[in-house]
Amino acid sequence: MNKKSTRTLLVMSALVMAMVISPSVVSYPTGIQGVKDSGCNCHGAVTSSEVVPSISGLPDQYNYSETYEIVVSFLGGPSDPSNANQGGFHLWVSDGELAPSDATVQSYSVNEVSHTEAGNDQTSWTVTWTSPSNDRNVEFILHTNSVNGNADGANGGSSGDMWNRLTAKVSPPVLVLEEADPYVVLTTLIVVSAILLVFTLAYVFYRTNPESFTWEFFAPWIADWLTTTDHKKVGTLYFVAGLFFLGVGGIMAMMIRIQLAVPGNDFLTQDQYNQFFTLHGTTMIFLAAMPLINGFANWMVPLQIGAPDLALPRLNAMSFWLQPVGALLIFTGVFSGSGADTGWTGYAPYVVSETAHMGTTMWVAGQIMLVASSTLTGINFLTTIAVMRAPGMGWLQMPLFTWSILIANLMLFLSIPAFGIGLIQVYLDRVIGTAFYDVSAGGDPLLWSHLFWYFGHPEVYVVIVPAFGVISEVIATSARRSIFGYRSMVYAMAGIGVVSFIVYGHHMFTSGMSPTLRFVTMLTTMLVAVPTGIKIFNWLKTMHGGSLVYRTHTLWTLGFLVTFTLGGISGMFFPSIAMDLHLHESYFVVAHFHYVLVGGTVFGFYAAIYYWFPKMSGKMLDEKLGVLHFLVGFISYNALFWPMHRLGVWGMARRHHTYFVTTEEAMGALPIEAAGWNMFISVSAFIFFFSNFIMVANMIKSLIRGQDAPADPWGGWSFEWMTTSPPPTPSFDPHNLPVLTDANEHVANEPGTLSKLFNRLMVSEEETEEAVH
Amino acid sequence: MSVGIGIFLFSLAGVYEWGEMVDASSIGIVFAALAIVMFGLTIFWRQDMSFDGAYEPKATGTPFRGIDIRKVSVWIFLMSEMMVFTSLFSTYMRYRFGIESCESVFESGQWVEGTSVTCFEPAGHLIASSWFHIAPGAINTFALIVSSFTVVQALRYAKKVDLDHKVRTKLVTRYLGATTVLAILFLSLKMIEWFIGFPLPEFLAEYNHGDTTIKSLYAEGYLINADSYQHHYYDTAYLADHGHGLSHDTELYAMMEAGTHSGGQMMANIRVSASTFYVTTGTHGVHVLGGIIGLMYMTFKASRGGYTPENAVSIEYFGLYWHFVDLVWVIVFPFFYLY
Repeated sequence: MNKKSTRTLLVMSALVMAMVISPSVVSYPTGIQGVKDSGCNCHGAVTSSEVVPSISGLPDQYNYSETYEIVVSFLGGPSDPSNANQGGFHLWVSDGELAPSDATVQSYSVNEVSHTEAGNDQTSWTVTWTSPSNDRNVEFILHTNSVNGNADGANGGSSGDMWNRLTAKVSPPVLVLEEADPYVVLTTLIVVSAILLVFTLAYVFYRTNPESFTWEFFAPWIADWLTTTDHKKVGTLYFVAGLFFLGVGGIMAMMIRIQLAVPGNDFLTQDQYNQFFTLHGTTMIFLAAMPLINGFANWMVPLQIGAPDLALPRLNAMSFWLQPVGALLIFTGVFSGSGADTGWTGYAPYVVSETAHMGTTMWVAGQIMLVASSTLTGINFLTTIAVMRAPGMGWLQMPLFTWSILIANLMLFLSIPAFGIGLIQVYLDRVIGTAFYDVSAGGDPLLWSHLFWYFGHPEVYVVIVPAFGVISEVIATSARRSIFGYRSMVYAMAGIGVVSFIVYGHHMFTSGMSPTLRFVTMLTTMLVAVPTGIKIFNWLKTMHGGSLVYRTHTLWTLGFLVTFTLGGISGMFFPSIAMDLHLHESYFVVAHFHYVLVGGTVFGFYAAIYYWFPKMSGKMLDEKLGVLHFLVGFISYNALFWPMHRLGVWGMARRHHTYFVTTEEAMGALPIEAAGWNMFISVSAFIFFFSNFIMVANMIKSLIRGQDAPADPWGGWSFEWMTTSPPPTPSFDPHNLPVLTDANEHVANEPGTLSKLFNRLMVSEEETEEAVH
Repeated sequence: MSVGIGIFLFSLAGVYEWGEMVDASSIGIVFAALAIVMFGLTIFWRQDMSFDGAYEPKATGTPFRGIDIRKVSVWIFLMSEMMVFTSLFSTYMRYRFGIESCESVFESGQWVEGTSVTCFEPAGHLIASSWFHIAPGAINTFALIVSSFTVVQALRYAKKVDLDHKVRTKLVTRYLGATTVLAILFLSLKMIEWFIGFPLPEFLAEYNHGDTTIKSLYAEGYLINADSYQHHYYDTAYLADHGHGLSHDTELYAMMEAGTHSGGQMMANIRVSASTFYVTTGTHGVHVLGGIIGLMYMTFKASRGGYTPENAVSIEYFGLYWHFVDLVWVIVFPFFYLY
């Protein structure tokens, strides 16, 4: 058994390694190494010391934007002045621009020059170099090739062939430090976090049983985690993956903020910036928010409805394992330096054009896998909630978190196939050359926008509605009363679910779609405020009628109410078409969706972490650290996103890698205060980013030496609080399911009119079998 | 969970096929990935084969009380499949109604010989041109409908309690096998229609505009990279030679009479139309392929006497899927082959 597990583990890790390594090798458009590393690959493969290259005419320190004449030459080697062909060269420069000065030299790009056919006949060449206009440590790499150009041109004029390499450095007028490549920073950070994760894993294993800290015990333990189908374990996997990617997405956000801290910064190039915001969006939505939600859904839904496990446990495990590999695909591009640079919306026709980075294909493929994962999750949860509720639990006795998961999954389930098909079309366009979005062949880029936003808008509700569920649970428990207006809460969520499908046009107001549709989606978008408002007032009324206990999760919930309401109000600016045209693609939009996604979803799920962590781990979290996390997090969060509204109104455009400020009235520049605000935002962003580590530290601390949690630490009354902390496996005995008798029943425990109708339509298997016998 | 990993690698491998820049070395990876998928499936099936007993959890919640859980989930799965094909059809409708058809462009005379015009050429225009060209599609339709029937027969006999187990095994195997054969027939005919084509005997040629071969869509040049598609339908000289000529009330005819258009053969960019056709019918084909893989396993299991009235429901679940695939074809066929 042990041997087998070990082998399985080895095979799996080999597979994972192969997946990590192989794409980064292949997908780089110019091969692993640029010409600057490999030199003249047309001739001999090793350098030879007999050839002595030299560069003359370079200053020690350059002046800004000045043009220098450089002579490159070589001595030695088989070259013979009496023969026709004597040699060649290749010169690469890290900054500034190289240009040929006569016909013996040709330019490959602004960084690269080489000899021409005519230039074969000499051993020295002249080129010009225009120095950069800013401070850089400039590096030159020269390869020279000395050939014995057999006078008659036999053997292609290159029998006897040696080459050598020379590097030269030029300093700027002002001394600058060697700058780090942002990719290297990002990759290092991700690798370091992954290593930390591995160490944490090993440490957790060590803590579970210090005596058995050997490979023999570790292999089956880890294999169990890798092959588990238990909803609680899969939930934990989701949870860990979600937090990990929340960190990765956060690192990218921090790099974006470093870039934007001062005007005209060049920490990231425009190209890198494009990839960073694309992957920040994709990571946060698909790899952080959704797994966090699924983690809690996996954990809590079966517990809340009194089911032993999810309906299809194996499928559940598969929908989790599709995610990490999908994530690897999404990131492969970045590791090789050309990640997706399309924005998370991936608008056509850019996404299918050749100018979009190669990594885009992988990014699309990874998302196709996430779509598959979401579809499987959807099947699982819809089935589970529909059929596995404990006896006595009608539709309207389900806890609100379960309701929210049901509605979120229904929305996701009905919308994500459109996205999947769109992605497959893009994938095929990019890979086998179909022409769905090729404008020159008559393809329609707007079709992609329609398919994307038909999914994209329900998707943003998919990430917010579960947070509503969490808030309802937490507020009711903390206020020590049942939720106010349970039915209206359910109908409001269902209303959001229905309306979400017909509002998506508001993302495309500036795209030139039909004016009628614009008007319709303007009205429906405004309609969304109604159910949302109902929910907010119900929560307020719940607190008003109860007596609130201030725990960490209560604080996060109150924080949610403030920030989400603010985000909702700023959202009401966009359905108004005239307003939207002005605010479109500005930081006002960025502020709005971060207010609802971070202030809504993330705060909601922080509340969920503090609320359910004792149930999941059996250990209490430290309240003091929790309050500290809330205070630091809440304040820095508002300091981070609130000023963005102002920047947006000033006209700072999102998705631009830099901005400029001026004291004068000028087109496209921001007032001088914008620089100060941006620095303020960046500082707050770092505080917010690091404040989250308080929570991680809190979790680790409580896992090591936290108090044991009782079955019901907060006084909640849904099913999950009735089992032990942590719950047993299977969560409930399938032959002795709990019966809902009086869990604060909201309505009489009778099927409603609709349920009676459905009951009559459904013929149970037992009845048909009886009929057969 | 190996299943999961297998499928990951599968899609990963897909990524390696860089289309036009064909990289031969990546083909090996594609096959390796497919092998891993099969490996995962095998593990899955081995667990299923060795699993005796018929633990089929029943639903406890209203309104599905007493119904098999897996049945509900299959129906829910079909809901998402519905959305998949809806999305494909919306793409089709967008382009079908949004791009002018090649026929009307040709007749309007808004083209010059030698310059490609963008227009929509429905595959149905080629396929429905002759009774023989449409034959593979028509036979396929019947094959699928009959296979839906055979799968139901398999279920019926598997469920019959008063049947000897040996007889049941034989009947179920036979019906499931028949379904498999019909499904394979479907895909084979599709390949013939797309890539191979077929010859006609002499005496039938007169019903096929005097032509003794039915060209495949591939040979007709109906391809996703056809940016200079030419066909004799859109050739004034050919039309004149073959008797029926150009209809006199078209604008092209008027223009040619007036000497403002010199006629000739129209060249068209039909990449969008071909993409829509191949991807939509291809998606359906992939569903059939998935069905075949499942059917092969089920036939194998049936031949070893794996189906009893207690676990016959799994045939029913497959049947639900298979009926759905059938139904989709019934909608795809008229839209893409006839109209």
